[in-house]
Amino acid sequence: MTTPDYSPVVQATGLTKWFDSHSGRLSLFSELELTIQRGESVAIIGPSGSGKSTLLSLLAGLDSPSHGDVMIAGQALAQLDDSQRAALRSQHLSFIFQAFHLLPELNALENVMLPLEIRGQQNAEATARQWLDNVGLAERHSHYPPMLSGGEQQRVAIARAFATEPTLLFADEPTGNLDQSTGDAIVEQLFTLNREYSTTLILITHDSRLAARCGRVLQLQQGQLVEQPAAGSAQADAAEEAHP
Amino acid sequence: MTLSQLNRLALRQSRASWRLLEWRALAAALLIAICLSTLLAVTGAKLEKSLGQQSAALLGADLVISSSRPLPDKRAQAASTYGLQSSTVTQLSSMLSGNDKFLLGSIKAVAEPYPLRGEISTAPALGSVPEPGTVWAEKTVLQRLGLNVGDPLTLGYSTLTISAELLSTPDRGRGFGSFNPMVILNQADLAATQLIAPGARIDYRLLIAGPKTQVDQFEQSLLPQLSSAERLVSLNSEGNLQGNLQQNLNRYLRLSAVMALLLCALTILLSLRRFSHASLNRAAVLLNLGLQPGQLVQLFGLQLLQLWLVCAAAGTLIALLLDSLVASLLNSMIPGQLPDATLLHWLQGALMGLVLLTTLGLPPLLAISRVSVSQLLRQSEPASVTTGKVLMGLALLALLVWIGLYLDSPVLALALTAVLVGVSWALGLIGQWLTRRLATLLSGRLKLGRLLVLRIQQQRRWQKLQIPVMSLLLALMALLWLARGDLMERWAEQLPLDSANHFVINIQPWEKDPLAAFMQQQGVEAELYPMVRARITGKNGLANAEAFNAEQKQHNSLNRELNLTWRSQLARGNEVIEGSWPPKTDDNGNTVSVESNVAAHLGLKLGDTLSFSVGANQFEATVDSIRKVKWDSFQPNFYMVFAPAALEKLPTSYITAFYLPPENSTTANGLLEQFPTLTLIAIEQLLAQARQLIEHLVDASSLIMAMSLLAGTILVITLMTQERAQRRYENALLQALGASNRDCQQLDRLEFGLTGLVCGALAALLAELALWPIHQMALKVDPVIHPSSWLILPLLGMALFTLLGSLSRRAPRSLWTQLRAR
Ligand SMILES: Nc1ncnc2c1ncn2[C@@H]1O[C@H](COP(=O)(O)OP(=O)(O)OP(=O)(O)O)[C@@H](O)[C@H]1O
Ligand SMILES: [Mg+2]
Repeated sequence: MTTPDYSPVVQATGLTKWFDSHSGRLSLFSELELTIQRGESVAIIGPSGSGKSTLLSLLAGLDSPSHGDVMIAGQALAQLDDSQRAALRSQHLSFIFQAFHLLPELNALENVMLPLEIRGQQNAEATARQWLDNVGLAERHSHYPPMLSGGEQQRVAIARAFATEPTLLFADEPTGNLDQSTGDAIVEQLFTLNREYSTTLILITHDSRLAARCGRVLQLQQGQLVEQPAAGSAQADAAEEAHP
Repeated sequence: MTLSQLNRLALRQSRASWRLLEWRALAAALLIAICLSTLLAVTGAKLEKSLGQQSAALLGADLVISSSRPLPDKRAQAASTYGLQSSTVTQLSSMLSGNDKFLLGSIKAVAEPYPLRGEISTAPALGSVPEPGTVWAEKTVLQRLGLNVGDPLTLGYSTLTISAELLSTPDRGRGFGSFNPMVILNQADLAATQLIAPGARIDYRLLIAGPKTQVDQFEQSLLPQLSSAERLVSLNSEGNLQGNLQQNLNRYLRLSAVMALLLCALTILLSLRRFSHASLNRAAVLLNLGLQPGQLVQLFGLQLLQLWLVCAAAGTLIALLLDSLVASLLNSMIPGQLPDATLLHWLQGALMGLVLLTTLGLPPLLAISRVSVSQLLRQSEPASVTTGKVLMGLALLALLVWIGLYLDSPVLALALTAVLVGVSWALGLIGQWLTRRLATLLSGRLKLGRLLVLRIQQQRRWQKLQIPVMSLLLALMALLWLARGDLMERWAEQLPLDSANHFVINIQPWEKDPLAAFMQQQGVEAELYPMVRARITGKNGLANAEAFNAEQKQHNSLNRELNLTWRSQLARGNEVIEGSWPPKTDDNGNTVSVESNVAAHLGLKLGDTLSFSVGANQFEATVDSIRKVKWDSFQPNFYMVFAPAALEKLPTSYITAFYLPPENSTTANGLLEQFPTLTLIAIEQLLAQARQLIEHLVDASSLIMAMSLLAGTILVITLMTQERAQRRYENALLQALGASNRDCQQLDRLEFGLTGLVCGALAALLAELALWPIHQMALKVDPVIHPSSWLILPLLGMALFTLLGSLSRRAPRSLWTQLRAR
């Protein structure tokens, strides 16, 4: 008996993206190839405007490529319709944003519950409470985002991201809006959880120290995705272990 | 920067602004406001002018003496001694028949010179008095009887030839009869018709015209000499029925437009606010580039001025088109052609639009000018918008003043605005609460239920405006719609089955027995009631002037001829509540039984003596019983009942009422053939006439309502877009968290659908509440619930909101762009 092989968890082939506007075509990248194994942590770096966020949105199926295809957990995004893609996101994907993106009218607990409710999960509240406790916000369940500091808001966002136990976690400059020490604490939490739940992490960052903590570092520059020499860390080994 | 450069920049800005939804909403609201107020100004001016013309041209003279008795020759002689022209006119209501059909019409007999003022117009044009042997008939007569010019028309015992269609005529006469379709014949033909008989209600008029001073002198000399039957109608006399109708019509139309104008004002206010908000960045950049704050105001002011120019031109043009439609509807209610409005009236709407735009536009304009360059760095909410609050208050006050001027009554404007604001406020609260309850109820069942509740919570500010606006508009529409179909029918339904549906009046004594025989032969039950027309001239030996107080003197029974009758048996629906029945006549004099309402009004008690006059005859009677009468029994009923012998020698006619089933068409025709001078009144014909009047009125206001609805729709779209960015962002985030695009659309649809549902339900409720007093007080029928409106209105509301929601929502940009934009 063979179990279906889910690795690689992300596979992009011939990925091309351009934007058409009045002033002509803006081509970001073309024919990118990218394979990410289950449990890997990957940092994408590159100058501003090089298309990192756009690449992320393509990998997550939030936007469609001009050309090429992305497969997530063995499913080709191009072949899924809107609701199937939504189901896939709900099942496997989570996001952490630079601007946190919590809904201001919901308190911390309700924000974390939101994706669980969208999935139709039964014990949404208990799970959400558990996760808020996990990120150290046991006392702040009923607080609303405007009453929380940036770091605390990002922790709520982390709890929200992990609560659905995603296969893949996308983070776009998760520390970009935070001061260094708060950022460090957040990064610490992110990596700890990532290890514990063996989530695949794809993050965009300008912070070289954060990039260095990832198993792989990819540089997006002038439409090319270049693999940087790995820092050689435990994460890389973990990835090996997971897929002998 | 020069003004022309600024103007060019403003033009550029205008063109770019058309892409903004708020700019389009602003333009649409301004357009509707201008169009509607132009239309109303023009219609109002026409109505008013036609009212002014009433004085001379519609009266057909400068002064009219009107009497229920033939006017003595000395009146005309007196007029000529003052150097005045005069002409006699005789008018009465009677049956017109031809082509085996019949119709209750108004018959006017005239002689040269006629009219003394104004003009008669006919097709073909045949002068101003018909040749003997011919009549002129209004279109309604021809249509109802299926006749053409050249066909014969029977009036009483005469058959005359219709020589022309009567297009318009002054001097229509007064009272309800003047609304009947009219024919004009030559005075020389009147006697042969034998319609002039005792008991017939005839209006004898002497038209008088001449130089104003002589007319005034004559009027003064005449006043002390007038008999009780005579009445003067002059240019300045009041209580003109036609005039009242026109004035009320004008006010009614204006009132029904206030809602639309308020909605437009609100839309203009909101969209301007949004526009100025959106323009702050642009303004900051321009300021940074060296433009003076004053120039900024000029720039945006010019942009608004350009918008006004476009809307004023388009609005006035559309009003021009709609005007002919309204005029054709009103023409059927107002005899004669409506006069033309002046240029000033045509410009009134445009001017009003300018005032509206200036008062409402000033605060946001000043907000733009207060922007600072630091706005560019901050990207935060500018504080300058709040400083407009005082100005905004002033603008709203100006709006109120303007409505007051517009309605020509500050009190009415204030009351109307207060009622509207109060009702809207209550509707907003109730509606918002209902929507939230419904959402909470639904939330357990839906994947995004919690979000729905949240969404509704979030939108409550706007819902508090949306819900009242839409539910009021839907309720008004429903009201018009129900009123049109429902009211008349329900009233007709309410008539007891088999109750009399035909009345015959003017039955002469010699016709009494043959008529009774005819009815018996036809198998129709009809009792004949004798009728003597008399006036009350005094009480207990005193003349009216001393016997009654001022209020009592206003009562109809003292100002008109009364119908007296005699009988010994108490009629159906009559009940003696005081005194003894039947009335007596013997050597001690007559006694009379008085109807209880009249008795109460005139303060009559048992034992009081009343004086009556019938022509030259005077007689007295003592009140010996008071009767209560059920007036809706549809039988002839009388205020005063005497003993049979008491009135015997006085000129008498008879009246009867009977029921004819709708399928019986022979009895009525046979009756008129055999007794041509009788007046047959078919209740259904009267109802049909009244219904047509109401229908035209409803049609005219439907047009205004349609424009109100359009204004409301634009306002709702404006409100929906107020939070559009927020909604888009939220949808993007939800999709990142695993919701599908379809889920998000469903969320929007649910929100709009629920709001629409609640609006519709509230509208149905409001319509029922408004119909309640109309049913109970005006129609005196039991109020009913209208299940159809409870079904249709909520569905309509849902459909409308869902449609508007999908209109206000443009295709979402890429999700990621949404989330990054924050
Ligand atoms: N929807 C769009 N339409 C047109 N151009 C777009 C769109 N989305 C992104 N771009 C352009 O694509 C380029 C890449 O944008 P992207 O946000 O992916 O860059 P980035 O690498 O994430 O930059 P940063 O580090 O500043 O976040 C930019 O020049 C941007 O203006
Ligand atoms: Mg980016």
